Amino acid sequence: MLRLILAALALATAACDAQASGSADGHRAKLLSGLPALTGRVVDRADLLSVEGEARLTAKLAALEARRTDQLVVVTLPSLEGRTIEQVGLGLGRGWGIGQKDKDNGVLLIVAPNERHVRIEVGYGLERTIEDHEASRMIAEVLIPAFEVGAYERGILAGADTIIAELDRSPLVKAKR
Amino acid sequence: MTALRRLGLLAPLAAVSLAGCGLNSVPTAEENVNAKWANVQNQYQRRSDLYGNLVETVRAAANQERTVLREVTEARSRANSVQLTPDQLSDPQAIQRYADAQARLSAPLVFRQLQEAYPQLQTNANFRDLQSQIEGTENRIAISRQDYNEAVQGYNTTIRTFPDAIGARIIHGAKPKVPFQAVTPGAETAPRIDFNAS
Repeated sequence: MLRLILAALALATAACDAQASGSADGHRAKLLSGLPALTGRVVDRADLLSVEGEARLTAKLAALEARRTDQLVVVTLPSLEGRTIEQVGLGLGRGWGIGQKDKDNGVLLIVAPNERHVRIEVGYGLERTIEDHEASRMIAEVLIPAFEVGAYERGILAGADTIIAELDRSPLVKAKR
Repeated sequence: MTALRRLGLLAPLAAVSLAGCGLNSVPTAEENVNAKWANVQNQYQRRSDLYGNLVETVRAAANQERTVLREVTEARSRANSVQLTPDQLSDPQAIQRYADAQARLSAPLVFRQLQEAYPQLQTNANFRDLQSQIEGTENRIAISRQDYNEAVQGYNTTIRTFPDAIGARIIHGAKPKVPFQAVTPGAETAPRIDFNAS
């Protein structure tokens, strides 16, 4: 009798615990479906950068992280595939997990030349550092003027410099808890 | 050792097994829903505050007060007066009331009307800054709503599926929560920044 009760309890415990695990990885995969893999600090899928330009940019982004732990990733996309650039920004930001986990101090510069969209996606930890109107001004004043004359590499490099300068002017993001 | 004492030793084991059956998972899922809802309300509140600044900016810049400005002011006070407590998240009508009150402040809608009424404002730097902040907040509202809906889905699944449903029904008396749907068509997507926009 006792054994029977024990066995039943064990079974119930197993059943109750079984569904607790999993799902986080599936969620990340769903966010990233149809979007490129994070292959480096510069993911130039639309092929807007020269080899030297990409190397220079990568070095700047690595130096930024070494200096402040803030992570800036530059991504260019040949197509948004019917999504808004905000949806792509959210999918990449969360799916890639840009920024230090405990600081959420990631920034994405996303350029979609064929749809003519550009976005600066900012992690929660840096929302007060790069506010919406500041991101909007960087796009209007630094990136778009260069893009309009077809100078994508110049625009992207200058845009990254502007973002980095804005970060360097601000206090470091503190870790949560 | 008597049979009774042996059963007594089983008590901790029973507690452990119950812990898996909704005793903890249901409140945890509910806390998650409440936290995500708080974020939805915070983002809406921020949007409302920004609209307050926007109204002041427009008043200072334009010499004539047009209908749209009065409408925004009224919509703001209506939106600010409808708040939801966590225990109202199971009430579809309460959620609907909240969504309706917020819908009138949808950024694409408001800015289309503002542009018609005050075309000259596009050159005002203050106005443009506030516009980008409101549009950014609109995007965060969409994200927070999506996160809330996912939390609701997780909670509703938890209280309906075996074995957590046992604890949900017997101990917590859990009721399903209501997802938040956007009311205005087009409110789902914030306006985009086009390369040619400026």
